[in-house]
Amino acid sequence: MIEIKVLGPGCANCSKLEQITRKAVSEMGFQADINKITDYGEIMNYPIISTPGLVINGDLVCSGRVPTQAEVTTWLVNAAQ
Amino acid sequence: MTGSIASYLSTLVWSGWTSLLDYLAAHVLLCLVPAFVIAGYVSAMIPKEVITRYLGPKAPRWISYSAAAIGGFILAVCSCTILPLFASIWKRGAGLGVAITFLFVGPAVNILAIAYTGAAIGMDIAIARIILSISFGIFIGLIMARVFQKDEAQRMADLAESGLFDQQAVVKPAVWVVFLLLVAVLIVGTLQVSILTTTWISIHLPVELPANLVISLENLQLTPQGALLIVLLLLLAPVAYLGLEGVLERFNRWTYFAITLAGLTLLLAAPAVQEGSLLIGITGRFIGEIILIAAIGGVVALKFTHDQLAGWLWETWKFVKQIFPLLVLGVFLAGVFKAIIPGSLIENLTGQNTIWANLIGVLFGVFMYFPTLVEVPIARMFLDLGMNRGPLLAYLIADPALSVQSILVTGKILGRRKTLTYVSLVIVFATLAGYLFGLAMVTI
Repeated sequence: MIEIKVLGPGCANCSKLEQITRKAVSEMGFQADINKITDYGEIMNYPIISTPGLVINGDLVCSGRVPTQAEVTTWLVNAAQ
Repeated sequence: MTGSIASYLSTLVWSGWTSLLDYLAAHVLLCLVPAFVIAGYVSAMIPKEVITRYLGPKAPRWISYSAAAIGGFILAVCSCTILPLFASIWKRGAGLGVAITFLFVGPAVNILAIAYTGAAIGMDIAIARIILSISFGIFIGLIMARVFQKDEAQRMADLAESGLFDQQAVVKPAVWVVFLLLVAVLIVGTLQVSILTTTWISIHLPVELPANLVISLENLQLTPQGALLIVLLLLLAPVAYLGLEGVLERFNRWTYFAITLAGLTLLLAAPAVQEGSLLIGITGRFIGEIILIAAIGGVVALKFTHDQLAGWLWETWKFVKQIFPLLVLGVFLAGVFKAIIPGSLIENLTGQNTIWANLIGVLFGVFMYFPTLVEVPIARMFLDLGMNRGPLLAYLIADPALSVQSILVTGKILGRRKTLTYVSLVIVFATLAGYLFGLAMVTI
């Protein structure tokens, strides 16, 4: 089970990231638990300068931009191993 | 009775409408279209690490403060992102002074604010806004750092080394090249210098406009060029929506159509059209824009990946969606209010460059909240109603920096004491900035 957290207070980029992540997960058929973190206190626990952020199994893999679905898929594949 | 209410309302609507047309026409379009494109570009292509690596506690103060002041250009292309960024930077270990400098200067040096202020009010105010915001922002930051020295020392000691400010970023040269070209498009599009405004070749369009079209345009206070630009803009809106809303997933022909339309609006606004005829002047501006746009197209086609272009278009579209509709509404309402607010009131309160007048400008900016960029048409309205340029600048510096809402949010981040100190410093320095500017304008 992959633990995924999408960090973002609700801006357009964070929603996009969540959308892309969900798509990547469903298209690859992964078992994943996806959580949207909107609370600033929690977001600040990760070393990001600006949202959105993507945390997979506790590791911050991306921050400050919206990655492509291909990138997200690659990270998920790596995490699943 | 109802007849006069109806005619009063229609006068108001007319005032708003003509203000809107005035703003949408040539010269403001020429600045807003490239400004949004630049904002999207910086947001997508230039990682924040380029600036934040200089903001940490290890950097020498003159570097961190300068980076905080000028980096606002790259870090926050719109005032909306400044508060979250400020919170991040401060909590991650930047000094309070450095973070505060960024907080204050950010709203003044972002590309949208500069371009729009310059086009809508005047380059003198835009440049003064930048220079005074940067210098006073650094002052305010230094003062805050001094006043809260002990608190900060304690906080830094508690803060684990976050390593955030050690993160660097590699930016390919092509990215900087296109950035400079884009800025050139903006400057060439708006700068009023003779080499750009002189007509080098004149072309007479072999077309006759129908007489009643010409008359209706005159009644609306539009030139044929202005009307055509507005039509292009109205066309651009739905096309951009169709082409850019899903641009991160795929490009469609609307995407390319949107890009083409955007380029066209720039080129169409560039030539000089002789009043009352169809004599088109190929100005230096037009020639410059064609060359620059072609250059950008070339570099992007050769050096940029599909995903990079998609990211850029997405960020640009994001800002347009977020800011432009409210801006249009703001311009319209400013036009309406201009017909309601008595000019004598504005003149009495702020017509002269006194400390008191500047303070009034500042306090109005502090207590009124306007969405990003709307402070500019509001300022324009005050200018037209008789406000002196000094208090006007004071207002323009204070309004984006503070609002009841931003004060509350800053309070949650910094705590009450620091926030109150910051607010007081902003009020004092914004008033002073406006007053000095007003004095300088008289002597120049």
